[in-house]
Amino acid sequence: MSGLRACGAVAWVEMLRLLRSPTSFTLLLLVPALQIVLFGTAIQPSGAKVAVAVAGPRAAAAALGELSREPGLVLAMPRLAPGGAEAAVRAGKAQIGLEIPPPGGGAVRLVVNAADPNLTALAESRILGAYWRRAAESAGVADLAPPIDLQRLYNPDARPDWGFLPALVGVIMMISSIMFGTLGIVREREQGTWEALLALPLGRGMLILGKMAPHVALVTLQGFVVLLVAAGLFALPMRGAVSSLMLLMPPFAAAHLALGHALAARARNQLAALQGAIAFYLPCMLLSGFLYPREALPRWARILGDALPLTHFIRAARQATLEGGGPGAVLMHGVPICLFLGAALILAALRHQPRLD
Amino acid sequence: MTAPDPPAVSAEGLHKALAGAPILTGLSFELRRGELLGLVGANGRGKTTTLRILAGLMRPDAGTARIFGHDAARLRAPERRLVGYMSQNLSLYPELTVAENLRFRAALYDASASDMAAEAAARCGIAAVLSTRVDRLSGGWARRAQFAALLIGRPPLLLLDEPTNGLDLVTRRIMWRWMAELAEAGHCLIVSTHDIIDAEQCPSVLHYGVAGAVGPMPPRALAALHGAATLEEAVFTLDGGGRL
Repeated sequence: MSGLRACGAVAWVEMLRLLRSPTSFTLLLLVPALQIVLFGTAIQPSGAKVAVAVAGPRAAAAALGELSREPGLVLAMPRLAPGGAEAAVRAGKAQIGLEIPPPGGGAVRLVVNAADPNLTALAESRILGAYWRRAAESAGVADLAPPIDLQRLYNPDARPDWGFLPALVGVIMMISSIMFGTLGIVREREQGTWEALLALPLGRGMLILGKMAPHVALVTLQGFVVLLVAAGLFALPMRGAVSSLMLLMPPFAAAHLALGHALAARARNQLAALQGAIAFYLPCMLLSGFLYPREALPRWARILGDALPLTHFIRAARQATLEGGGPGAVLMHGVPICLFLGAALILAALRHQPRLD
Repeated sequence: MTAPDPPAVSAEGLHKALAGAPILTGLSFELRRGELLGLVGANGRGKTTTLRILAGLMRPDAGTARIFGHDAARLRAPERRLVGYMSQNLSLYPELTVAENLRFRAALYDASASDMAAEAAARCGIAAVLSTRVDRLSGGWARRAQFAALLIGRPPLLLLDEPTNGLDLVTRRIMWRWMAELAEAGHCLIVSTHDIIDAEQCPSVLHYGVAGAVGPMPPRALAALHGAATLEEAVFTLDGGGRL
């Protein structure tokens, strides 16, 4: 009972310090605001606009009409002399150049600036699609190949922001938690309050739990607010068991806080602690599938990613929002998150010696 | 017939090296309730290390330190109630008010948090600054508040690392009076200090010299042992001042 009372006292003090610290507000409000603006607003649903240059005798007629109807393409230089499209790409005036030869003069040439394939890959496939559609019509076989009835599940307009936003909830919570976990302890050590705390009648476990409790509550609240913003500002659908996702938020936050405490145990200063936090969360963003599709990763990287809470939280968040998963489908992702939490707590307890030497 | 109470502090053959340099080499002494011991000596000779070992914050490389019979290296939460430790740094939370800091300390003990905090505040005369944030206090008030926090829970052993460092004469005198009163009330106090005038107020002192610690013994006895008229003269000579 006295252990719980001590834990509650630490939690109460931690909450007061948190609410009065400008750093906490930066982490709780500024970082999420910046991320949601960057990932939600800056990534336009219509995708990037790619500049196209077209050269050749027939450029003005069929090709231009076809290309001008394609989304994401801008006919920057539509009527160039032969060779002009390639020159425009090489000069950096267009990302894609289309060289259309005179009748009987060989193949149509598509010149692509592939320095940034993420930018040009979609435009490239749109131009190729338009080409083959036009070819089928010219050959009079268009009726033999009726258009494909494309059915996109969960995200009918393939909005890139909808792809990012469920994952962003987890990323924001992860960054906040791990930062609070690492910086909080090191800052106390630098202030000199940690030494005094260790001398007080307080068990190691209760100390760590008391330190974590208010952060878990605030980061969970943060996750909820980010979810609300995603639904309100970006119309992210909430089709599944969102309340089950909310249940996963506290263990998810606690897992990263405990890991942060473990990282902070031996960090000499705030900079070292910060480096430890970044060294963890940057690979997480890659291995979890947030920045890059997990399916494109090598097997070893996918196995590593499976051990991370963020990977499972992202799956749960997509289930609860876009995919309309029920409580079971969402909560099953809580098992690996809780396993990670247990391991992180043990690590934090082992690394935190209640001494100064 | 009951067994005699164990000493408040019992240090036997303490050895400790920091970063490869020996700091303590066989330190031994014993203190009982009601005693006030001053630790004096040059920087880096082991005063803070001794206090940290007794507070259970460091483990000796060899030897044992016992607090009321408990091994200081293995103090659990209930036994830590026996020890109050005041570090050199200001160890109160700067973002919190004095009252919030005191209530936090009191909540770690079983007794009523608000009663205990009020009692400590009254004793140290800090009622006027209870609702002030610690980072807005002057050095003197902050030290008083830290002293009040130390008294929360009435630990029978008080370890104070340079508690009067940087304070004006009046505040220093006040704090030394409080420490003397606590010793009279049956607490055992160990106080490290660089101020020889302060050290002379201690009934006994332990001097940390190049060849190890000497004492505990009354300040006058320490001076006489080294053929000096005053404690200041003795410490000056022992700490290498004679070579100046």
